[in-house]
Amino acid sequence: MKPTRTTGSVIALWVFGVLGVFVAVLPLLAGPYAQAIGRSVLTYLILAVSWDMLIRSGQLSFGIAGFFGLGSYAAVMAGKWLGMAPILTLLLAGVVVALVAAAVGSVVLRLRGMYFAITTLALAEIFRIIIRNWNNFTGGPNGALLSGVIFGGNAAATYTLMLVLGVLAIAASEWFEHGKMHFALTAIRNNEVVAKSSGINIYRYLLIAFVITSAMQGVVGASYAQQFGFVTPESSFHMNYTLIPLALALFGGMYTSWGPVVGAVILGVLGEYLKLYIPYGHLIVYGLIIVLVLLLMPKGIVGLVRARMREVSHD
Amino acid sequence: MTESYQLRTEKLTISFGGLVAVNEINFSLSPGEIVGIIGPNGAGKTTLINLLAGLYYPTSGRVIFNDEDISTRPAHERARLGIGRTFQLIHPLEDLSLIENVMNGFLFAQGMSLRHARDAAAEVCILLGLSDLDRPVSRLNILETKQMEIAKALATAPKVLFLDEIMAGLNSTETLTVIDTVKRIASEQGLGVGVVEHVMGVIRQLTERVVVLDGGRIIAAGPYAEISRDPQVVSAYLGEAHDAED
Repeated sequence: MKPTRTTGSVIALWVFGVLGVFVAVLPLLAGPYAQAIGRSVLTYLILAVSWDMLIRSGQLSFGIAGFFGLGSYAAVMAGKWLGMAPILTLLLAGVVVALVAAAVGSVVLRLRGMYFAITTLALAEIFRIIIRNWNNFTGGPNGALLSGVIFGGNAAATYTLMLVLGVLAIAASEWFEHGKMHFALTAIRNNEVVAKSSGINIYRYLLIAFVITSAMQGVVGASYAQQFGFVTPESSFHMNYTLIPLALALFGGMYTSWGPVVGAVILGVLGEYLKLYIPYGHLIVYGLIIVLVLLLMPKGIVGLVRARMREVSHD
Repeated sequence: MTESYQLRTEKLTISFGGLVAVNEINFSLSPGEIVGIIGPNGAGKTTLINLLAGLYYPTSGRVIFNDEDISTRPAHERARLGIGRTFQLIHPLEDLSLIENVMNGFLFAQGMSLRHARDAAAEVCILLGLSDLDRPVSRLNILETKQMEIAKALATAPKVLFLDEIMAGLNSTETLTVIDTVKRIASEQGLGVGVVEHVMGVIRQLTERVVVLDGGRIIAAGPYAEISRDPQVVSAYLGEAHDAED
């Protein structure tokens, strides 16, 4: 009864796989500038993937920047006060953010729709305000500085770290898409009453998804802070960390592992390219592309490709 | 059957604001019996099912299953205990295929692995006469949708099963098909089945015992032949001066 893969989709998978490895390895050959772009693309890619993993349950989060910033601070504080090795602070940030997400999740996951979305937005702001006012620990409005950056600033090593994190994020997303999680989250998104009646413990699955995706965002925040060696309330909790991943996932296509990945790579690289030609106008072009894509193909690029492939296979 | 289970309620009551939707109802369902639950619109039939399935918690009174008070157990736990139900307004999970819709019960109520759940779901679908199981649910016709709805409920391995107006929208041939299926499954698996239905012909053919609700209360109970002649039922259910057979 298992659906068999068509030859077309096997070929597509291979082409996609080879292309993916090529794109991933390319910056390592092309030098520091390409590696810097690659790092930035991967940062937003992981955030976009994690956001998509949660929205598969129907829960729209505007709180990415909150967990990103929290992870940034956790890592820098661990380095500053405990002298912890940079790579270990990533792990610690993941654990700290997971614990915070579990605690707040037990409350906010009772909310749905707009109420959940607005509350996650407010959460991010609450985290920022607490950190901004906790002067003697976090450095207050001035932020905090580390004595060094991760891998001594070696661009290739840092890129490799981000690449590993990116692969882990995609693996987590694939696990969500192909395991029991997929059934639970899709059922919750489509109809909670039906989900319950099938024996799905809605709260439990939402909490698992919320904790895992928040921890991912925390680890990315930690890796970002360790690359630059400093945090400030304004930069570490910047709204861009919420808005850009959201746009990337919408552009690439929601509810799939590969949609946010495709969106992040295409828009990320395109953004850098546009920056060279229209230094301050690239964000406008970027915005226009997103608007056009959403108007013309509301399921994103991956959604469109899948629909086309289905048509071809039915002909 | 060595296992003896019974679902019953004791003075089950729920009120929404000032409206008492279900009022001190004593209801019971035993293995292997098919019970009709009838009554005019707003009588409290679906509310009763929602109380039994755990979507609502009673204001007072109790739901007892296998001698255990389950009144405050949430819906997903009751599905695991063996209380299955279909929905009056059908909501297939539109982003899952036919077989995936049915797999959910095996995966979560029964805790099966993906592989086993797929095989088991295929079996139940075939039992109900469904085919081409990887179709998106948007491609199902009305009969197939109803069959899938029953398959979804059976996937939770119910000991008691409530069918909430499962025949609505079906033509007479399709109705007969579903009646046969329900009878066969109930007797093969020793299920207790509660059937909410507006079509009297279905109640007559399917059930051994009928419970009549009106205004949240049980106004009559007994075999269909008796019930359909009860003047109180006739006036509550069909309006006065009508015969229940019409």
